[in-house]
Amino acid sequence: MTIDVVDHILGLTGSPDLAALRGQRADIRRLTESSYEAALHPGEPRNFSYAERAALAGRMARLWKSHELAAHYDGVLHKQDGDAASLRISDPENPLDGATDRLKAIIRHVDLVTLTPRQAEKSDIGLLYAAGLDDRDIVTLAGLIAFVNYQILVMAGLRMLRDN
Amino acid sequence: MAREIVRSFTLDALEWDPYVTPVDLAEATPEQLNALKVTPSNTKVSAYVRVLAHEPETLTERTPLFNDIMYAKGGLSRGERELGALAASLVNHCIYCAAVHANRFIALEKQPEIIEEIYARGIKADLPEKYQAIFDFGIELTAHPDRVGVYQFYHLREIGLTDLEILDLIHAVAIFGWANRLMHTLGEPVREA
Repeated sequence: MTIDVVDHILGLTGSPDLAALRGQRADIRRLTESSYEAALHPGEPRNFSYAERAALAGRMARLWKSHELAAHYDGVLHKQDGDAASLRISDPENPLDGATDRLKAIIRHVDLVTLTPRQAEKSDIGLLYAAGLDDRDIVTLAGLIAFVNYQILVMAGLRMLRDN
Repeated sequence: MAREIVRSFTLDALEWDPYVTPVDLAEATPEQLNALKVTPSNTKVSAYVRVLAHEPETLTERTPLFNDIMYAKGGLSRGERELGALAASLVNHCIYCAAVHANRFIALEKQPEIIEEIYARGIKADLPEKYQAIFDFGIELTAHPDRVGVYQFYHLREIGLTDLEILDLIHAVAIFGWANRLMHTLGEPVREA
């Protein structure tokens, strides 16, 4: 059996009680893991490469100061030989000089929906269309943002249980 | 029939209009139909789910994950999971999600006054102790996942939640961090004017 990503990142092999607790919700643990695969390494990545997905995920983790998760996505990005542009966007501190209009629009949306989803409006989807994304691209991006934010919340809650 | 966009929290039954074009069932691939669970006897599929069908691989995992989190036996009560979902939807301003899950809370807990208070005072709602702790945790984890720690844990313990109940609450709030980011950003709630 492969190691569960969330267990691995949180080091739950060293917290048998918490690992056993997650085991009481084994279906949820399994589907969290398969959702991770579907969002980050889908069979058909289409217009979002694996490296770009990992870089955006790392960026979201950093936006919420989820350092363990950000480090995980850095590792994924390096294994995929992420290009220089992907490496830069994984950290929100880096300037976006030289990024394409498509990438700038994607990053704007990632930052908005990660930190302040309540402020998202119809016009924000209009900006994605204007940058050349199609219907499926927009759903792909929304799904990636939504999954990684779910993962950030699950990990924040499990970290609370682990450390208290 | 004229439809109006709904901009404030409500218990009314709402519809949802997408900002992107949903998958057309007549043109859907076998993988999309499988993810949609479309069968000859079940051809009514909401616009929301047809939007998500643009990514069938994700939708196939997400549907059972959502159901397990909200309906799995044991642990946190069904109504208390709905309260966690509502807290997240309030912070993220997902009016459609809030309407659905506020109504489910009322149906399960038979306490409409709890929802009245939440809709009147939002995240500052003043609730009975156990509901308060669950609601506050939902608000905190949604708004500040980077700040959840010993203080929040202590409050959940103080009202007597077990580890499994706390885990169930974490999952219920987190899956709405997911659902709200789809439903609130990919379309808008509407009703007949």
